[in-house]
Amino acid sequence: MENNELLKRQVEELASRVNGEVEESFGVLVLTVKAPYITETLTAAKQFAEVPCDFLHDLCGLDRVEHFEVVYQLSSLRGPQKLRVKALLNRENPVVDSVTRIWQGANYLEREAYDMFGIIFKGHPNLKRIYMWDDFEGYPLRKDYVTEPIEVRNIVRQRIEGE
Amino acid sequence: MSIKETEELILNMGPQHPSMHGLFRMVVHLEGETITKIEPKLGYLHRGMEKLAESRTYAQFIPYTDRLDYLASPHNNWAYVQTVEKLMGVEIPERAEYLRVIFGELARIASHQVMIASTALDMAGWSAWSYAFRDRERICDMYEMTAGSRLTVNIMRIGGMSAEPPEEFWPALKSFLDDTPEMLEEYYGIFFGNEIALGRLKNVGILSKEMAENLSITGPVLRASGVDYDVRKAEPYSIYDRFDFKVPVRTGCDSYDRTIIRMDEIVESIKIIKQAVRDIPEGPVMAKVPKVIKPPAGEVYHRVENPKGELGFYIVSDGTTKPSRVRIRPATFINLQMLPIVALGWKIQDVVAIFATLDAVLGEVDK
Repeated sequence: MENNELLKRQVEELASRVNGEVEESFGVLVLTVKAPYITETLTAAKQFAEVPCDFLHDLCGLDRVEHFEVVYQLSSLRGPQKLRVKALLNRENPVVDSVTRIWQGANYLEREAYDMFGIIFKGHPNLKRIYMWDDFEGYPLRKDYVTEPIEVRNIVRQRIEGE
Repeated sequence: MSIKETEELILNMGPQHPSMHGLFRMVVHLEGETITKIEPKLGYLHRGMEKLAESRTYAQFIPYTDRLDYLASPHNNWAYVQTVEKLMGVEIPERAEYLRVIFGELARIASHQVMIASTALDMAGWSAWSYAFRDRERICDMYEMTAGSRLTVNIMRIGGMSAEPPEEFWPALKSFLDDTPEMLEEYYGIFFGNEIALGRLKNVGILSKEMAENLSITGPVLRASGVDYDVRKAEPYSIYDRFDFKVPVRTGCDSYDRTIIRMDEIVESIKIIKQAVRDIPEGPVMAKVPKVIKPPAGEVYHRVENPKGELGFYIVSDGTTKPSRVRIRPATFINLQMLPIVALGWKIQDVVAIFATLDAVLGEVDK
């Protein structure tokens, strides 16, 4: 319980510094910030005194129709603290800083979010599609993605020379 | 005559290759026989699970989760149904919780047996393979008795279990548990006592503790690097806080420890099943759940300790009968990131060993 209070205080302090909003959902603190503040937020969260949220569990994109979100699930291997950080992204220009410098493990996760949502992670070492093939068009998990009819899908894709 | 310069060799491994455990492909850059770069190419088994989930109801998605990590399908069911239950606030009957633990731990044993078998096979040990697969058959038989299928069992429902195990299940389980010490003895003798296997695994592919944490590695791979972390202990879900078991940790950080830690985990799983069989109460196996599952709007992230690592589900509900987003956090997809980093500088045959000890299942990696 004390642990929780400590985390809550520090998250609220951080939120006022980065113009974020804090809410609670199913016992987990959720901190929502604008995309430009994400590096600052996550660096600070990693270095919270006594309750560091230093382990990145998951990173995923989320389509909210009006905007995109990138959701980071943080916790620690040495304590019960949990924190969810959300970055709000503009739909027309979804760009956010890559966190691969903070956690190397974000590498594939960011590539997946790029593949599925078209979110550009600035500073990523190798931002390429990971599941779909390289010349695939569109971003499948966006809400406005049209699933193509079976006739179109059955056309065998031409191989590019040297592939 | 002048001496020719050595040329970098680019070798394509997979997707159709016996040591690639499914449809995994990697492009290996070699200098002689030494690895200079590895590029994993994923997606050969990508079925778009997350997209499929958005057009299905909550209950309809349960069979799809079986196809994630198909060697431990009850675990995938478990992670998914628990997330939905958390979202809806459903309490499930005691007996169902115990049955879930029994099937979950049986799945862990089966998955680890396959891992040991396939690692042995990758080290060219055919006989060790057949021993572990012979014993895994008995777990498949127990699945079949209860759920009707042997691999993708689809055994859990939102609110409980699909069925009560039949009468013949309990003697089969008891005889399996009685025979396990002998089985483990055999694996130790035929595989872990084999000098060739030891030579191929010991001190190969060192993954340091700091590196493992930074790469978000979870599961036995993390614990073989000396980190004592298990979701069952750190954040006990279901009824794991009632059982007395240890989390095996090894500090060797090499391929050998990543393999043998699964043997330690089998021992602990057997302990848990024995306690669960002793304490299981009578009663129903299914809670009263509405016919139409309609969780309130909200979002929840829930994780369980899958045999391969941490399997998480992040479900966003908009208050309708279909989820707005189902995010699957696959354990081996993230664990796989260590391969291009750890395998650098090793020989080509070591890559096979390192990849085998990751225990990647491509159904989960590619979703």
